[in-house]
Amino acid sequence: MFQNRAEALALALPAAIFAGLVFLVPVILLLSEGFRVADSWTLSAYVDFFSQPLNRAVFLRTLKLGALVTVCAAVIGYAAAFAIVSLPPGAKGRMIGLVVLPLMISPVARTYAWIVILGRTGIVNQALTAVGLTDAPVRILFTETAVFIGLLQLFLPLMIISLISALENLPKDAIPAARVLGANWFQVFRKVVLPLTREGVVIGGTLVFTGSMTAYITPAILGGSKVLMLETLMYQRVTVAGDFVSASVIAFILIVMSFAANSLLKSLATARNRT
Amino acid sequence: MSDTSYLSLDKLTLSYGKTVAVKDLDLDIRKGELLALLGPSGCGKTTTMRSIAGLMMPTGGHIRLDGVDITRVAANRRAVGLVFQSYALFPHLSVFENVAFGLKLKGLRGAELDRKVDAGLKSVGLADFSARRTPELSGGQQQRVALARAMVMEPKVLLLDEPLSNLDARLRLEMRTELQRVQKESGVTMIFVTHDQIEALALADRIVVMKSGAIEQIGAPEEIYNHPASRFVADFVGFENIFEIRNGNLVTPEGEVVLPGTLPQAAGLAWRPRAVLLGSGPWSARVRGISFAGGTREYVLDTPLGIIKAEVDASLPAHAIGTDVVFDLPVENAAVLKRFG
Amino acid sequence: MTMQRLFAPVTLALVLIFLIGPFLVIVAASFSAGDTLAFPPQGLSFKWILKVFTVESFRQSFVTSMFLAIGGTFAALLLGIPASYAMSRYKLPFAETVRGVVSAPIIVPGIIVGLALLRYFVVPIGLSITLALFLAHTALVLPYAVRVVSASLNNLRSDIEEAAVLLGSSRLGAFFRVVLPNIRGGILSAFILGFVTSFNQVPVSLFLSGPGVRTLPVDMLGYMEIVFDPSIAALSALLAFLSVGIVFAAERFLGFSRYV
Repeated sequence: MFQNRAEALALALPAAIFAGLVFLVPVILLLSEGFRVADSWTLSAYVDFFSQPLNRAVFLRTLKLGALVTVCAAVIGYAAAFAIVSLPPGAKGRMIGLVVLPLMISPVARTYAWIVILGRTGIVNQALTAVGLTDAPVRILFTETAVFIGLLQLFLPLMIISLISALENLPKDAIPAARVLGANWFQVFRKVVLPLTREGVVIGGTLVFTGSMTAYITPAILGGSKVLMLETLMYQRVTVAGDFVSASVIAFILIVMSFAANSLLKSLATARNRT
Repeated sequence: MSDTSYLSLDKLTLSYGKTVAVKDLDLDIRKGELLALLGPSGCGKTTTMRSIAGLMMPTGGHIRLDGVDITRVAANRRAVGLVFQSYALFPHLSVFENVAFGLKLKGLRGAELDRKVDAGLKSVGLADFSARRTPELSGGQQQRVALARAMVMEPKVLLLDEPLSNLDARLRLEMRTELQRVQKESGVTMIFVTHDQIEALALADRIVVMKSGAIEQIGAPEEIYNHPASRFVADFVGFENIFEIRNGNLVTPEGEVVLPGTLPQAAGLAWRPRAVLLGSGPWSARVRGISFAGGTREYVLDTPLGIIKAEVDASLPAHAIGTDVVFDLPVENAAVLKRFG
Repeated sequence: MTMQRLFAPVTLALVLIFLIGPFLVIVAASFSAGDTLAFPPQGLSFKWILKVFTVESFRQSFVTSMFLAIGGTFAALLLGIPASYAMSRYKLPFAETVRGVVSAPIIVPGIIVGLALLRYFVVPIGLSITLALFLAHTALVLPYAVRVVSASLNNLRSDIEEAAVLLGSSRLGAFFRVVLPNIRGGILSAFILGFVTSFNQVPVSLFLSGPGVRTLPVDMLGYMEIVFDPSIAALSALLAFLSVGIVFAAERFLGFSRYV
């Protein structure tokens, strides 16, 4: 009954055509702008882009923060995931719910809170002055630290969830077995847990890294124009200078990164299904 | 095409893309008969059944039902019912609503609908099950709902896909009796598909043995059982010692062997284990294996003709493994095969 | 030994404080009686929460966001359900291509989509911003709609559709009578997922704003740059409760997490 291929196409085409027209075509056109200068195909736009120190700085900063957030998320994520999986079922479910909860809240709301906490008159500064560690309020907002904290908070749940999934798939007796053989906790982690949960870390890491690289709201609110990241730079170039070529270059970089991450995730998923 | 043909398949060809599943199939089915399509998986029996139902369009040939060419008629306009192997009950509807489904589509409502549905459920022994939800039912009960659902539509042909395969031994016997009763009472032309020769032999009026998209043999159960037409059919119905005949000799792994007595003009001979004469005869053998099966003893013998399987009454003294015995393959005990392969 | 015992609860407490604490700060700050955004709040009052409802631009952009979330998700489902059906039931020619094209919006950062639509649809053709926003949000939700509905369809046997047809139903009739009732949960979950995704979406809508046309999060961002009072805190808190509330209800009444 399901053999008529014309029927199948008729059902699927509207969605495909819609996505193609509304989404693919404009995006491809935008990307092509980065490769053309006056009707000829060239990479000069890319050369120009990277020859400017500001752009290089933004690019490297985005990479750096992305990496930093990913590593910290992995470390904290492991600790949290460990703690969660050792809970009894009811509490475990509730904890997972609490960890996932922030993901339903708009990033604007989640990031905004840091303004209150990290601002001149915010909690952190209040605490610091009260304890006597500083005389004048420390500037935390609009620094890379602030963006780092904001991104970490935003994406940590993703890492925790990936790791919980990986830890639950650990053979039940792997850790006790290693302990009985004399391993201390650090060795247990390095030789047993890490290799066996490698996939979970890679999945979580990919999600966190891509998320951080392609974030807009957090860098915009917590970094402003002092701490530009790729997307906030893109916004600025377009709205302030009408510079669509730079925007196209940045867009291409972001897409390539996102696509690479997605392919990695997909190949991991199919590899897992095959074993 | 004979006049007694109620449902006829005429040079039916069915393909999936480039793979041909059934090629030039000719089959005449009589009104009111219980027919089995028997064969291993991949032989085309299910595909043929689905094409009769209209779930698959033939790439060649015709299907005629009660004088009308239904080859291109849509599945929802044929008077054909189908009981799926998985029963395919609607999980979101109650038993009553499942059985009423097709009737409602025909426009039945109110008291008349209730009457027909209740009668249908009663005829399969599920009179009190109207309000139940289908996931709660046992496998056997679900199957009966599926049967009732198809039968209330008063189809011209009822198809059943592996009706007994999912049931345990006890239920199988129950269901077999049930199906025969329903068929005899209603007189509906029933076709079922199975890979189990025991099912086919027990239920059917006629059996169609299929292999690789073509018919190997058609006949009544006794015919198929005692006179298989080919090596394939013989193997399928439980013959163990099957030999090709060439130049009037038996073909064995060691070469051609002359069998005492005249061999018929045939392509092959087949002996059931029971038909092997153990204890006297021109051939010698070494006992390779022996198993006790209650009323009989089964032997696996190493012989000059290859491996022979024999079965004798358990009351006879047993031959131990490693001992030598003599045996015979009496031609009169063999089934004569018209085709080999 | 006690170090080990304490490890788990202490870690969890710290992580939860880190993840949820800031949000609680916002909620507290929105009850502030003072005029500036501060924590701890100076006195308690409902005035900022009430103020949020009176700001005209917030009301307008809330309506816009609602319209986009509901309408966009609806449109995404209208396109996505047939596509999911085709992909799960048939051997669709070019299946991988279709799947790729339809899922592409997930891979591309939203800001790029918004910019591209602005540059090639809004400016040159004169497409209205609202329409562009609508198209963008639909495209954004489409991959989620397809993914969730596909999962539901893949879990539903196709032979019940064949059974319905053999009992006299048309193909379309079989879809509505037998398929739809059994994937209802999946569709509803897809709707909720799409709604929340669209409503909280910022980057896509950044470039696509105009006079009177703005999504709520973008409006909030703009407001933040000019005025530094607790209304944004209050609004954030309200929106968060809205999102969380919807998802909670979905989980409670639908078992939402089963579908996504």
